[in-house]
Amino acid sequence: MDTTSLILATTFAPFVGFAVAMLFLHRSPRLAQAVVITGAAVALGSAVQLWLEGPVEPLRYLWFTSGAIELHFGFLLDGLNLMFGVVVALITLCVIVYSVGYMAQDPSKTRYFALLAFFEWAMLSFVYAVDLLQSFIFWELVGLASFFLIGFWYQKPSAAEAARKAFLMTRIGDVGLLIGVLVVMMTAGHFDIPGLLDPERGLVARVAPATLTAITLLIFVGIVGKSAQFPLHTWLPDAMEGPTPVSALLHSATMVAAGVFLMARLYPLFLAAETTRCIILVIATVTALLAATMAMVDRDIKKVLAYSSISQLGFMLMALAAGSLFAGVFHLITHAMFKALLFLCSGLFIHHFATNDLEQIGQAGGRRMKLTTIGLLVGGGALAGVPPLSGFFSKEEIFAALGHESGTVFTIAALAAAFLTAYYTFRMIFLIVLPARIEPAANSGGTDHGSAEPWTMVLPVAVLTVGAAVGGLWGHQIAAALNLQAPTHTLGSMLPALGVVVLGIALAWVDFGRGERVGFLSRLPALQTLFSNGWYIDTFYRAVFVRLTNWLASLLHGVEVKGLDGGFDQVGFGILRSADGSRSLQSGWVQFYGGCIVLVVGAIAVYVGMGG
Amino acid sequence: MTAEMIVVGVFVVVAVAGAVMAVRSQQILHNIIGLGISLFGIAGLFLQLGSPFVAAMQVLIYIGGIVVAIVFAMMLSMAMTINPPARNLPKTIFAAIGSGLFFAGLVGLLSKTQFATRPTAGDEAWAVSRIGNALLEHYNLVFETLSVVLLLAIVGAILIARRDKTPA
Amino acid sequence: MTLEMYLLLSAVLFCLGLFGALAQRNLIAVLIGVELMMNAASLNFMAFNRFSVTDPSTGQVFVLIIIGLAAAEVAIFLSIILNLYRQRRTIDPESITELRY
Repeated sequence: MDTTSLILATTFAPFVGFAVAMLFLHRSPRLAQAVVITGAAVALGSAVQLWLEGPVEPLRYLWFTSGAIELHFGFLLDGLNLMFGVVVALITLCVIVYSVGYMAQDPSKTRYFALLAFFEWAMLSFVYAVDLLQSFIFWELVGLASFFLIGFWYQKPSAAEAARKAFLMTRIGDVGLLIGVLVVMMTAGHFDIPGLLDPERGLVARVAPATLTAITLLIFVGIVGKSAQFPLHTWLPDAMEGPTPVSALLHSATMVAAGVFLMARLYPLFLAAETTRCIILVIATVTALLAATMAMVDRDIKKVLAYSSISQLGFMLMALAAGSLFAGVFHLITHAMFKALLFLCSGLFIHHFATNDLEQIGQAGGRRMKLTTIGLLVGGGALAGVPPLSGFFSKEEIFAALGHESGTVFTIAALAAAFLTAYYTFRMIFLIVLPARIEPAANSGGTDHGSAEPWTMVLPVAVLTVGAAVGGLWGHQIAAALNLQAPTHTLGSMLPALGVVVLGIALAWVDFGRGERVGFLSRLPALQTLFSNGWYIDTFYRAVFVRLTNWLASLLHGVEVKGLDGGFDQVGFGILRSADGSRSLQSGWVQFYGGCIVLVVGAIAVYVGMGG
Repeated sequence: MTAEMIVVGVFVVVAVAGAVMAVRSQQILHNIIGLGISLFGIAGLFLQLGSPFVAAMQVLIYIGGIVVAIVFAMMLSMAMTINPPARNLPKTIFAAIGSGLFFAGLVGLLSKTQFATRPTAGDEAWAVSRIGNALLEHYNLVFETLSVVLLLAIVGAILIARRDKTPA
Repeated sequence: MTLEMYLLLSAVLFCLGLFGALAQRNLIAVLIGVELMMNAASLNFMAFNRFSVTDPSTGQVFVLIIIGLAAAEVAIFLSIILNLYRQRRTIDPESITELRY
């Protein structure tokens, strides 16, 4: 099949699935599942085929012209897009298949699968977009899909509020992105991405450095929102209200990765804007450490993974800011696989034991679910950076990049964050696998959904386990796709990374693998409280911004009700009242009527008689 | 001052005095009597203006017929006669202003208009037979229409004033 | 007396009648006012008949017609008053205000 049909198949097959399911199949959830799975499979197949055929020229279709400005939509098919497209399609298909088992009892299955298909369409169209405006449109659509999916169980007030919060916070970022895109428009006159990135005729050559810094900073604001970096990170933990497959897909592997992907996509611009990269580095480092501390104390398995995602995204942005496109993209891809794997495993635990709490899962016999535990171990190891799993290699690249380009402070900060990562990851693992005590099998509670590990849920876990395990070996291919050289590393340079990983695991074992299963932080209650309340950032936001906005909204509401609406109402009442008043002229007195006539005629007679 | 002028003056005074009495009094009977007096004055003026026939008709029909009918109506609404309602001052002032304005306008118009006068026609033109002839020749239609109107008035008056039949 | 003085007199009578028709609280008094107005008009006609007309029988016919019509009108007016009095026990124009807001 030629390229055009392939790319159209990749991006539109999910949309067809969404449309068909949403419009026609509300009464046949099984058929809807099948349709959506087919769409996703077609998308994956086409994406793989495109990847095998290698990079080609971009496809552009003219959308409309407005004066001298031409807007296209189309598809960019270079190494980065093709690779990431396969990753997105693969993980989406895994999550969809997994959802068949996870959502088996849910009454609104059709809506769920249709929304997943909608998300896939938006995400793939974003990935392959050739035009910056097109990217922005699909960026927003991805946010919209996230809103719908987080608030999937909308009858739950916490879910509805979490969806709203996610949408509003990412929106704040999106404003920055929109302004940045518009500045691009004003300076370059077009949105075409290859044109913007061209070293001779693109933005870097044509605009002043200050403008470039402004543009990249504005785009970074969007990334902060979408990829949940400090200070717009508080929506991601709340977003765990959505179903676990949604968390696996959106909030670990794909949607939040869209921000990092955008930076990778526009990397030449960021390479040239040094100031922006410094700012990004600082924010990303702060985020990585901040989120890691919050993950250390949380008892909810999904929240731990959510904070972990925020922290790892910080890592990716640190790598990109340090100047290594390869490290950032490598970690993006490996993280997608092992984080999705971890979420799916947590979903299996949650589905079986009907609780999110780490200790309860462990004590109810989590480790008896063998396949899930294996997935958990592999994913956790990859996350912590245990060799030879994929995470180790991608983290290694990050440390190397930081060491070369950014100096000691950030490298040490990254190593500290890696230490914390290993600590909280293995805290999670030990709490589940080596609990203080295990209840006997008959009392393991949970729901009776048949087998604890149905094949629809285990198969994707297995696929992702393999990916997380061996993904590290693909480093060279990834670099080649990016037209970069994969750096070589000596054993010595790998030692610091290995060292912090071992330390982290050891401390985790000391705290949670034996004895009372309480962390060392319990002896520092002030820190413990600080971390568990998210450094009070969310509290601060609520007290200041939310209150301020509510106050402003009620003020404006008052203006509208009393001023504008009331004003119109008063006009109406005024007319009614004047009509009421003038009613009294119709008194029914004949002599009054006659008198009025005489008065008027008399006045006229006087005018004619005396004057005129 | 000729005798003629004195007589005219008397009739004018009678007419105006009667009219004032007709509109001012509280008692309805005084109003009616005032009307009668005024009509007498006007009949005298008609006489002075050269038409004894019309003067006679005025006295006969107007005073003898209409005023008497009004007296009958007054008697049939005895309760109002015994307890006349009080004067409504705002309404009186309102009516006075209206009439005053109108009068001022009329006077102004009068003073500005040049009326064309002709010499008075001879005696034979004022004969009563001429009136009869005119009624039956020139103004025949008006005459007949008037008779129809009178018929309708009689029928209408009877209809309106009829007592409603009580159910058997 | 000149024409203008007769016309002035008739204007006075007319306005007196107008005042009475508008200010009185008894419908019969209103009738009286109306009759006064009509007589003022007849006086006007007779004055013009005397001073400004070639054929004097015209004005006299007119006045006769007016008298006839006045009679017809009084008949109707009085029968209405009777009917009204029978129904309402009052012939005060200020109490007869059905056609109002």
